[in-house]
Amino acid sequence: MRDFLIRHQTPALLVAGLVVVTVLGVLTGNETVQVTLTEMFIRLVVVVGLWVFIGNSGIISFGHIGFMGVGAYAAAWASAEPGFKQIMLSGLPVFLQENQYPFAFAIIGATLLPALVALLLGIALMRLAGTAASIATFAVLMIVNSVYANWDSVTAGSSSIIGIPTVVGPWVAVGFAAGAVVTAYLFQVSRLGLMLRASRDDEVAARASAVEVKRMRLVAFVLSAAIAGAGGGLYAQFLGILTIDPFYLGLTFITLAMLVVGGMSSLSGAVAGVFAVTIIVELLRIAERGVSLGALDLGLPLGSQEIGLGVLMALILIFRPNGLSNGRELVWPGAAPAAKAPAGRTLSPELTGDAAPSP
Amino acid sequence: MSETPAFIEPPSLGVDRALTNAATLAAEGLSVRFSGLLAISDVTIRQARHEILGLIGPNGAGKTTLVNCLTGFQKPSEGRVMLGDEDTAGWSAARFRAHGIARTFQAGRLFKDMTVAENVEVTGVGLGLGLKAAREHAMAMLGWIGLADKARAKAGTLAYTDQRRLGIARALVLSPAFILLDEPAAGMSDAECEELMTLVSAIPKTFTSGVLLIEHNMRVVMGISHRVQVLDGGKTLAEGLPAEIQKHEAVMAAYLGMEA
Repeated sequence: MRDFLIRHQTPALLVAGLVVVTVLGVLTGNETVQVTLTEMFIRLVVVVGLWVFIGNSGIISFGHIGFMGVGAYAAAWASAEPGFKQIMLSGLPVFLQENQYPFAFAIIGATLLPALVALLLGIALMRLAGTAASIATFAVLMIVNSVYANWDSVTAGSSSIIGIPTVVGPWVAVGFAAGAVVTAYLFQVSRLGLMLRASRDDEVAARASAVEVKRMRLVAFVLSAAIAGAGGGLYAQFLGILTIDPFYLGLTFITLAMLVVGGMSSLSGAVAGVFAVTIIVELLRIAERGVSLGALDLGLPLGSQEIGLGVLMALILIFRPNGLSNGRELVWPGAAPAAKAPAGRTLSPELTGDAAPSP
Repeated sequence: MSETPAFIEPPSLGVDRALTNAATLAAEGLSVRFSGLLAISDVTIRQARHEILGLIGPNGAGKTTLVNCLTGFQKPSEGRVMLGDEDTAGWSAARFRAHGIARTFQAGRLFKDMTVAENVEVTGVGLGLGLKAAREHAMAMLGWIGLADKARAKAGTLAYTDQRRLGIARALVLSPAFILLDEPAAGMSDAECEELMTLVSAIPKTFTSGVLLIEHNMRVVMGISHRVQVLDGGKTLAEGLPAEIQKHEAVMAAYLGMEA
């Protein structure tokens, strides 16, 4: 048991951290704190999903918030009140219109539908090289947005879907966050993860090592879309009301900012980024609201949140380009496997790039 | 790590799995055109297993283009690449490796952010081994090539010659039928070249592989090649035993003359 925990200490520590934060948050008994925590854990699911693809393949994706939206709508279709669906969503298949499915079923749908969409799109997208693939994923985001905003008979178009049961609180959300972390970790250390990380470091050499790079990228793309979609399903069943508007540029930016701030190349970085950015954003939000000192209202102007986040990202990129985690995984101080520690200390990332002459 | 003297015992594979039974790797009438420019034209080359074939030629002679064709990284404009009796047309680079044709790169191209052991494991996993088998095999390979003590270091932190050796170890996983070494001695000192020669000459016996050795360093090529083929301007200029090539007038004029 002890060996098992030491070997898999990164996900164990991350999950333990999440649980501790949840316990503390619930103990405060404060409604706002619990809502903030729930939102943060839902974002954590999405960001970890995003990391499964970006972190292991090295290709930035702007499309995953689209998959989150697809997942959210899938959950809404399954779980919203039949009365509403029959009137407003008359284009849905009859089995969805007439029934109200439980949360578990909704989440399964929110996972499978985005995975299927990602598979179909990914077969085409993964043929593209790095930057071209990133730009194409941006197109995915725009396509999802415009389809869902205009397909009135299934998405209610620009009006909202209402009557979705709100069953997601901090405990449900943290459960899924922990599940996402464990899934992402298992993928990272799997054969597929190893091959994909090799292609991130050097695609040509990976192909020469018998790695079918496109296939590996497709697998990661589908898995990460599934996790992001589950995050969308949670979001729908947390808010109880759904429009396509939130699943666009703003959320794409903030989730990518979380990855950049935390450090894209490690799972611990993805988790750290979600925490760091949430804390900064919440502090700025409080500051925007301001405090009243008698006749004097002290507060930051509206929009400080966005500016603050931009400044934070710029500072990270300048002073710690590999993010807060610096590309490392979280390990218990001193309890790291004996052989790993020296490797970490002799590392000098600044120098390594110049060791070999490039062609 | 067991203290087996280097280059005598083949690393235990842990698996009994031949990637191919083919006895030859051959290019027949190969031409590659880059938007009108002929990089190589009508080149024929034949590499047998257990043989070290030296491939030399001045810069721009088309050596690397030829290697790219032989490993699936470049589609020939004309001609074909045959592995035994099989035409390799349409094969991906990964498929070439899966069929036992391995290569190294001039620039090393290590997975810099991964550990030394992981660099070797990737090939094992790519060839279908499980993680555990790939790890064991990687450690055996590193022991053989003398990098076992650095297994946990990041590949990017290795000294230059160690990076070269790691590239070779990675390519030798599961005993490929053929290994194509692209200028392995570039930037090495005389002593390091000696070590490299010992290592490369051990490959045919230890791994039953044929070695295609592209190299500018004449001492290395002439010292260990069984046969040498000379490219110049995208065409085969001469082919023969090292001693013959060294006396070949056209070769001396085109290439060796510049070294004197």
